[in-house]
Amino acid sequence: MTTVPQTHAAPQRERSQAMSMVERLTRGPSLIICIYLLLYGLYALQQPKALSASAIASLLNNSVPLAIAAAGQTLVVLSRGFDLSLAGVISICNVVLAVYPIEGPGGALLSFLICLAIGGLVGAVNGWLVAYLKLQSIAATLAVMIICQGIALVILDAPGGQVSEWISYEMTDRLWHIIPVSGLVIAALAVVWAITLRTNFGASLYAIGADEHAAALSGINTRRVRLITFVGAGMIYGVAGFMLSAQTATGNPTAGTPLLLLSFAAVALGGTSLSGGRGGVFASIVGAAVLMLLQKVLFSSGVSSFYTGLFQGVILILAVVVSGLLTRIGEGK
Amino acid sequence: MKMKNLFAALAGVAMATGLIAGTAQAADSKKFKIYLSLSYSGNAWQSEAANIVKALAKTPPYDQTVELKEVITGTDPQAQISAYESMIDDGAAGIISFPISSNALNRTIKRGCDEGVLFFMYDATVTEKCAYNVSYLSSGFGENSAQALVNALGGKGKIFLSRGVPGNSVDQRHTDGAMSVFKKYPGIQVVSEYYSYWDDRTTQQETAKALTAHPDVNGIWAQAGEYGAIQALLDRGGDLVAMTGENSNGFRLALADPAMQKKGLKGVSAGSPPAQSGYAFKLMMEILTKKRTMKPMNIEYPLPWVPADKVKVCQGDKFENGCNVFSEKRVPSSFVTEVLNPDLLPELNIDSALNGTPVAGATIQPLPADVKQAANEPGINCNNCQPAADQYKLTKVEATVKP
Amino acid sequence: MTQEQTPETRFAQQGDSRGSARVSRETISAIAVAILCMILLISARFVSASLGSWAQVETVLVLSSFLVVLSFGQGLVILSGGLDLSLPATITLGGILATSIVGSGNPEAWWLLPAILMVCAATGIVSAVGIVWLNVPPFIMTMAMSIIITSGLLGYTMGTPRGAAPEAAVALMKERLLGMPAPVIFLIVFVILGWLFQSRSIFGRYLYAVGTNVEASRIAGVPVNLARILPYAVSAACGGFVGIMLVGYSNGATLRMGDSYLLPSIAAVVIGGSSILGGRGTFLGTVGGAILLTTLGTIISALGLEFGLRTIIEGSIVLVALLLLREELFQRLRSMLR
Repeated sequence: MTTVPQTHAAPQRERSQAMSMVERLTRGPSLIICIYLLLYGLYALQQPKALSASAIASLLNNSVPLAIAAAGQTLVVLSRGFDLSLAGVISICNVVLAVYPIEGPGGALLSFLICLAIGGLVGAVNGWLVAYLKLQSIAATLAVMIICQGIALVILDAPGGQVSEWISYEMTDRLWHIIPVSGLVIAALAVVWAITLRTNFGASLYAIGADEHAAALSGINTRRVRLITFVGAGMIYGVAGFMLSAQTATGNPTAGTPLLLLSFAAVALGGTSLSGGRGGVFASIVGAAVLMLLQKVLFSSGVSSFYTGLFQGVILILAVVVSGLLTRIGEGK
Repeated sequence: MKMKNLFAALAGVAMATGLIAGTAQAADSKKFKIYLSLSYSGNAWQSEAANIVKALAKTPPYDQTVELKEVITGTDPQAQISAYESMIDDGAAGIISFPISSNALNRTIKRGCDEGVLFFMYDATVTEKCAYNVSYLSSGFGENSAQALVNALGGKGKIFLSRGVPGNSVDQRHTDGAMSVFKKYPGIQVVSEYYSYWDDRTTQQETAKALTAHPDVNGIWAQAGEYGAIQALLDRGGDLVAMTGENSNGFRLALADPAMQKKGLKGVSAGSPPAQSGYAFKLMMEILTKKRTMKPMNIEYPLPWVPADKVKVCQGDKFENGCNVFSEKRVPSSFVTEVLNPDLLPELNIDSALNGTPVAGATIQPLPADVKQAANEPGINCNNCQPAADQYKLTKVEATVKP
Repeated sequence: MTQEQTPETRFAQQGDSRGSARVSRETISAIAVAILCMILLISARFVSASLGSWAQVETVLVLSSFLVVLSFGQGLVILSGGLDLSLPATITLGGILATSIVGSGNPEAWWLLPAILMVCAATGIVSAVGIVWLNVPPFIMTMAMSIIITSGLLGYTMGTPRGAAPEAAVALMKERLLGMPAPVIFLIVFVILGWLFQSRSIFGRYLYAVGTNVEASRIAGVPVNLARILPYAVSAACGGFVGIMLVGYSNGATLRMGDSYLLPSIAAVVIGGSSILGGRGTFLGTVGGAILLTTLGTIISALGLEFGLRTIIEGSIVLVALLLLREELFQRLRSMLR
């Protein structure tokens, strides 16, 4: 249980074919992907336009900031931590892009790097507080989040400003009228994660989340791994802030706040254990997509909007319960 | 086994939704499909604004020709973007909305306009040119109420600013207007400035905190939530002070109450009227039914302005004979009185505002032909535009004291 | 959230001196937070002459009474190894029920108020059942519960809460007794009872046990399920009670009245020296944390700074408090005293 999932997925030979089917279905992101496809089917039944390229692209554009933010949160959760600074980083990136827009593709690249730097810096502070000063992650990142929100308000005290046109048009566009750019960003993130999984850092991340004490005994530099985790997560939030700015095209000092609790919901929906060591980034990304799709499905099914919250809450609990049960069945317990 | 449960649950949802969708489609397809999109429901202002739109949509002849759907999206602009997109895809004829952000929705609105959807914003505004904004924002609440407070204080004294939501452009516009007046008077000293989130309880708590630091305050300039400021003053005992606030029923009654006046309360009630939503809805319907042609523009709703000596309690359920407040037995203190308007919305009474019910026997009356174009407010109702040179000129009150 | 935590790490950190560590830690946190409060109040005189007066202390205590009651509930949940994100919703539930059922029609019927608290507690039990038996993480379960309650209330009130405050609630918040505001007296009584419950009762000890290690407590004969469910019920009832207090304080309910209390309720517990992972912390520390946060709010709002700067200062002070109350520092202090 303590290392990378791939290594302990070695099923006993004598298990029946059916059993390994169940296992494949429940392991990693496949379950949440099934849920997503089912929901999408429902949505397409109610709203025939749902299958058009533009509808898919607009849904993707809506989902991408949350999906990326949830990906970052997953890193921290895997190491058995919580990162509330997510809201602060996204807000700061958003106001910086809106107050200091830099035009053209070169400007977009520079803006992107600035976002990465902001996220990395905040992540480094978190990592230092948690890994080296031994503060509890939820408490330390709570304080950092409050400070970041203050900084965002100092930079821009009321919604306004204009994100550079190149970012807001190109990043939400479709290549050759088919492939949404925001989908490519997610794909790139997924590739980076796939590579990370094969590194020492990836293995250490799971090890620390499963059992920090044992990880330290086996020679892992737990402090350094934790620090890198927070820095990495921070940089990913920076990307989320960048994509959110592209979508809203304007600055809002509280832009990141709505994504905070949703990011945890996405992580849990994806089946990542909130007590660390189990789960993965892909599943969280799909979990985020499910949350956004759920809004659409509830909308098109005409549920009175007074009661949409009721459905959202119940479905959230159901999904977590079911995925938990399936995981256990898959593990043969 | 468990997977089966999930399927069963999903199938249940599917069936329920199919049923609802089915009945909706069975309705007369000639009806105008109108969406009402609000940020959140839950305070008196938001629900009154939504209720009168619902009441108007049930008033003949619109009860036969309008299919109104309400959607509450919360305070997250992204959720509203997603909701607008669903509405456009669903073939909406018009969307009437309280926008959460003045810029973030622009691209989606533009897409909707291109597909022929009418967008009417009430109270808060957007900077997208193809949407109609119906708002009192340009009518100078901040500067007029500030001048009234300065007048009441004789040009000098310590004051609090009880503001709205931090990082909100409406709050910023009001405060900028007010400060343009206060800055002219060196005798006026802003000793505390706090955010009350346009909410009675928060206002009360924040005012209580400020009062412990500055018990010698002489006046309070408040945005919505003003009734909480009065309660904080009453809680500490002693005298009341001069103050300006918005349109809550409790505040208006207090302004006119001789006992309160004796304690030193004086001031004016002005600010954001929920009636804007009804006006916006009727304008939109007149365009859709081809009774009016109008290009997208910023429309100004007149600023309600009721000084203490003009407060008059209504005997019935409507604003009649110049009355403008209801007895405390009839409505809660947080009720926003300016939801009615005898000229623009004669169809409605307070039950429409409280419950969204139409008035028996009422029919939709035509609006006055003229609409007032609103002044430019950069970043609020237009982008890359110039504000008028006299942006903060006084319209409701004159300076009675020299700086 | 805790059942998968390994016992080794916990015990390794705390060594064998757990009992004594808790006692000295309790005193040290309480003293440290009290000193911080005092320094703040005294230095506040530089901001405005009328700060630091008895009147200010009264206001701070009245305003902090909400947070103290809330963070008692939140503290119990955290102690047992969970987290309650549904507090804003239960506050609103208590407030709305108090105004709509009691306040409109029979405002004298104080005996309905305990019934409202039972309703709130029932929502807590539902959350707890999901957490204990369905294995839903507390974070998700209470968040979902919060969404469900809020949406139910929206439908129940159709968006417009009606009614006025019950007389009992107004009396609790507005009367004066023995020359002090009634809420201050209430606060003192509540703190004593809460402290007795958490630190001196057998049940309190169960909570420390399950918060540290569920499996070990089960083996040791602790009624584990009860000890994990009850905190959520108490927390929800505390939320409902704060809702009633708020209604009495400002005479009316709104559907968003609880929103601003979630983060402070967690911050107060953490600043008070509790472990967010459970098993460690004291109510007196939490009370100190709640009063410290409220004092801070009062002074910061008197400073007249730009809101962004105020927020930065607030966050920095939370951070400084965390750094000062750090485990390592305590250990060093203890070894110095020995």
